[in-house]
Amino acid sequence: MSYTLQYGQIWPYLPRLFDGAWIALQIAVLAFCGGLAIGTACAAVKSFGPRWLARIVSIYVVFFTNTPQLVQIYFLYFALPDMGVLLSSFAAVLIGMTLNAGAYLTEIQRAGFESRRVSEMEAAEVLGFSRLQQIRYVILPHMARVLFPPLSNHFIIMTLGTSMAAVFGVEELTGQAFNINSQTFRSIEIFSVTAVFYVALTLAASVLLAAIGRYAFRARTGLI
Amino acid sequence: MHHLDIAGLDAHYGKMPVLSGIDLTVGRGDIIGLIGPSGSGKSTILRVLMGLLPPSGGTVKLDDEPVNHADRAALRRLRDRIAIVFQQYNLFQNMTVLENVTIAPVKIKKRPRAEVEAEARALLAKVGLGDKLARYPDELSGGQQQRVAIARALALKPEILLLDEVTAALDPELVSEVLDTIRVLAREGMTMLIVSHEMAFIREVASKVVFMADGRVVETGSPAQIFDAPQHQRTRDFVSKILRH
Ligand SMILES: Nc1ncnc2c1ncn2[C@@H]1O[C@H](COP(=O)(O)OP(=O)(O)OP(=O)(O)O)[C@@H](O)[C@H]1O
Ligand SMILES: [Mg+2]
Repeated sequence: MSYTLQYGQIWPYLPRLFDGAWIALQIAVLAFCGGLAIGTACAAVKSFGPRWLARIVSIYVVFFTNTPQLVQIYFLYFALPDMGVLLSSFAAVLIGMTLNAGAYLTEIQRAGFESRRVSEMEAAEVLGFSRLQQIRYVILPHMARVLFPPLSNHFIIMTLGTSMAAVFGVEELTGQAFNINSQTFRSIEIFSVTAVFYVALTLAASVLLAAIGRYAFRARTGLI
Repeated sequence: MHHLDIAGLDAHYGKMPVLSGIDLTVGRGDIIGLIGPSGSGKSTILRVLMGLLPPSGGTVKLDDEPVNHADRAALRRLRDRIAIVFQQYNLFQNMTVLENVTIAPVKIKKRPRAEVEAEARALLAKVGLGDKLARYPDELSGGQQQRVAIARALALKPEILLLDEVTAALDPELVSEVLDTIRVLAREGMTMLIVSHEMAFIREVASKVVFMADGRVVETGSPAQIFDAPQHQRTRDFVSKILRH
């Protein structure tokens, strides 16, 4: 075996990796925010909503947390067109990841809803807080603090999960790496640099999230 | 005129009666020691007074004014005048010591922050926590948290303070810190209802002792009467059992 590493060859392709990283980040952020909205609504339904609606939410959660994400996106991308719904690969990935995140974030947030402490609410009540003031000053800050670490973790997992989009031809980080590899055949160089990009991306996100959590919510994520 | 006048008070948890015909009058500056076996309804009296559990019968009068516990506005006025300190402190975990004490006066009573903070600092210094203002509850010992809870209750300048076993969750060496704080309040003439298992302390500070069992008041009297010459068999049993410890 005489494979000489030639990182110089892939140097000109670096801007494309940056473009790919940017797209990966966009997918992760959009899918996470969409998932957060779905998750909040579904968690509220599961904790406080009517039984029949909670049951529907449960079916959704069980389905999406028990099937591979790749299969979910495959379904959106290849099966829906047969039913007359045509999605771009980017849209299919985004919708798939959003629905998947929504299911996981439902479960995470429900734990937050259910950890609200009766004792603190009673203290607020006897200090003269109205219901709204109790939510604003006691329940929401408490939930933010409890939920921030697991939500941050899920965002990191989703950032890495965006590489799945390459399968559908989306030119995010992994997709770009595939392309560059097929042009240069410098696989080791390309994929090692790509790995470094992912590490940098998740590390930056972790540090940023941990700092926000630490200072805004006194949440402990272990990093800071 | 009584500061607080409780007459024929009944309360239920679901269908189970927990208070039956409680009569209790409290004069201004009185310190009532509420004692009795576990489950006798001591905490429940305090919870009913604060409007956390609606009474099912009887009346509560504050300065001769009947209190309607079903009316939220009336409850809010009542909570301006009566404060409670819970056994488990119930501090807001997401707020610092200073914020715990200032939030209700600032956000609920809309008083100027600077003034409230100055008062809160003085209160916290008085309970020996002047150097812990920026700490969070989970960074404090149980005794320190309990004293923050007392300062938080006092920040609303209540006329009457209800204390529910405020030393029960504390290690013995922390108990005296909290009792000292209560002694200071007693000297200043605060009206207090104190639920406690610290019989020596009750004997020392209380002006009147109320012995309860099974949701009823069994016997009321001066500390000397209740501890040295109880009239009822149940009181005698309880007192002799607890004083032997
Ligand atoms: N949340 C509740 N739901 C149902 N029953 C309750 C509840 N809280 C208290 N009880 C019952 O009400 C009765 C009186 O309870 P309470 O807490 O007032 O007693 P206590 O005198 O304060 O006892 P302790 O000394 O153990 O604190 C008990 O029989 C108790 O089991
Ligand atoms: Mg009790």
